[in-house]
Amino acid sequence: MRNRSETLRRDSRKGVPSYLYFVLPAIILVGIILLFPIIYSMVISFFNWPQVDSGNRFFMWGKNYLDLINDHEFWHSLFLQLGFIFIAIPIELVIGFLVALLFNREFPISGVLRTLLLLPVFTLPVLSGLTWRLMLQPGYGAITYLLSLVGFDFPQGILSDKSLAYSAVIVQDIWRMWPFMFVILYAGLVGLPKDIMEAAELDGAGFFRKTFTITIPMLRPTITTAILLRIIDALRIFSEVFVMTNGGPGGNGTMLYSLYIHKQAFEFGKLGYASSMAVILIVVSVLFAFSLVRKNMDIDTM
Amino acid sequence: MKKLLAVLFIALLVVTALGATKIRVLAWDDAHTQAWVQNLKAFEKATGIKVDLELIPSGSMLQKTALNITENKANYDLVAIDEGNVAKFGNLLIPYSQWPEGKVFKKISTSEIPQAIFAAALWNGKIQGIPINGNVYVWMTRKDLIENPQYKKEFMEKFGYELKVPETLDQLANMAEFFASKGIYGFAPFTKNTEGSTCEAIMFFEAFGTHFMEQVNGKYVITLDKEKAIEAILFYKRLMQYAPPGANDMGHSERIAAFSDGKVFSMFQWPGIIPTHENEDESLVAGKIIYTAPPAGPARRAAVRGCWILGIPKASKNVEAAAEFAYWLNSHDAGKKLAEDGMTPVRTDLLTDPELLAKSPWYQGMAESGLFAVSRPNRVTYYPEISEKIKVNWLAAVTGAVDPETAVDNMISQVQELLDKYEK
Repeated sequence: MRNRSETLRRDSRKGVPSYLYFVLPAIILVGIILLFPIIYSMVISFFNWPQVDSGNRFFMWGKNYLDLINDHEFWHSLFLQLGFIFIAIPIELVIGFLVALLFNREFPISGVLRTLLLLPVFTLPVLSGLTWRLMLQPGYGAITYLLSLVGFDFPQGILSDKSLAYSAVIVQDIWRMWPFMFVILYAGLVGLPKDIMEAAELDGAGFFRKTFTITIPMLRPTITTAILLRIIDALRIFSEVFVMTNGGPGGNGTMLYSLYIHKQAFEFGKLGYASSMAVILIVVSVLFAFSLVRKNMDIDTM
Repeated sequence: MKKLLAVLFIALLVVTALGATKIRVLAWDDAHTQAWVQNLKAFEKATGIKVDLELIPSGSMLQKTALNITENKANYDLVAIDEGNVAKFGNLLIPYSQWPEGKVFKKISTSEIPQAIFAAALWNGKIQGIPINGNVYVWMTRKDLIENPQYKKEFMEKFGYELKVPETLDQLANMAEFFASKGIYGFAPFTKNTEGSTCEAIMFFEAFGTHFMEQVNGKYVITLDKEKAIEAILFYKRLMQYAPPGANDMGHSERIAAFSDGKVFSMFQWPGIIPTHENEDESLVAGKIIYTAPPAGPARRAAVRGCWILGIPKASKNVEAAAEFAYWLNSHDAGKKLAEDGMTPVRTDLLTDPELLAKSPWYQGMAESGLFAVSRPNRVTYYPEISEKIKVNWLAAVTGAVDPETAVDNMISQVQELLDKYEK
């Protein structure tokens, strides 16, 4: 350890520490690909920045942010977005966890089934949105037809109604993304030490006791990671909802946050205003990440 | 000697190439403009003008044009501009009245194209370019249904007049009601959360005799008559009673499917989509459609317009050659060949040409609709925001989420807020 420090010090005397040469390309790449767009968005969020009229771009302090406070549609889209997250992700988590428990033992064709279960995750979001839109059509949609067989008839169409369309968007996301939860939790389950489970069984612990007092607490970091990844992904949900409902029905029935950013940026051409919304999205993501990691990953002791 | 001739020939080619005028043209990419590509050589041969034609997806046109056309810079000599963006670029274009006369192709007279279509290029009281496609609502009616003797007889007995192409919205409502009793949907609305819903609102407001916005003393003011707007909404709701399931969320794909499946009696369609209905591989009603102007409301017929125009930037250095190319595209002979290759014409004589009509019967409807073309209130740079307010409130009203009176009040107050913000 002492030798390594000495080497670094020696290199430092010559100028730049040698390890910096190795990490510099990565730092530059991250800077260009990740940091520059974020900083650029932050900067133009303080400007009036029309998409077309370049002569009309000027600094306007925090007016975009003040305007957001008074923008009813902004709050509505944020509300829908958070609702989407708090409804969809817990359901995905529960389904993913239960299926992971089911697959945490070997049985015939379990390997094949595990692979097949992952298929929805690999479906392109656009394709998923379009397929669900077709399946939910009145008259010829497969899901509409199946629902009508069990007494749920929607003659005006599921996507015509604000609440139903919002629910449909959530169900579509659950269908597509629960296997993602499953695969992460399954990997966590497989990695749990077997001896603790065996000891618990010898002590007479049943399935539920083991699950709630051993499995879940030990899986906490894995669960946190899965939730965090899903929240970050869900905050950016766009294409599947865009093709499924385009933010409708009724104008804003499913106008989730990203769709509203897109509308402001590319329909209204207000890039500065849209950037201020994007900055808030980053802040919300960071808040989620920070609170989850801090509470569940013992970051202070790391 | 041979070597000398070869050198001279090459030198001649080089001189010709260097001497030829070359123009850069920017347009959207689809079947219409691919027809231009197929026929470019004919233009180059006739004029000696080389054309560098750049075709890009229509969704990228706004940004590309904005980046390449300014007051002092023009990387293109001729640009296609969607009617909705005329307000953004109108000031940067040479007014059509100042376009030079053509040397090979005649300058297009405003009488050769319906006036209401030419108005697509209107900006600040001046025509700033030339329309290049006659994109306007065309009304489609099922010929096989209105010619069915049994239906004709029953309709006459019930309503006391002949079953035919609806000439008024009231007739349309009667026919929709009649066919609903026969298991055929009378009308397919457009209620998707897109610009199409704004078009529906504007069409019905105009048909009921009220114009949404007008310029007064250089500023825009809302001129929507509340009573007439409510009447228009109530009538649309009446029609929606006879619409297919899912009427509250119908966009292009749903309407195409319903009509091509033979389930709908009558509806509007954009010309660019009509070939789908006439394609026997995709449609059960191919060859069974009559194309006309939309039925008249209490005030008038109104067909919403959404044309592309060609404009010459003020900063272009090849104005004459650019104008020549635009005249060629809109000339009768070249236009006919282009139409045969997939371009939708805009000239009245081509839209009514028997040979073209035999192949594309909807041209007749385009010619008729062109006479009644109306514009959306898109002569302001912030039109997308205005459209959003119209659309959201119109949809809320016609789908029953709010009552028509509240919707119209909201529409007016919300658009007024935008006017107050932008028209200072």
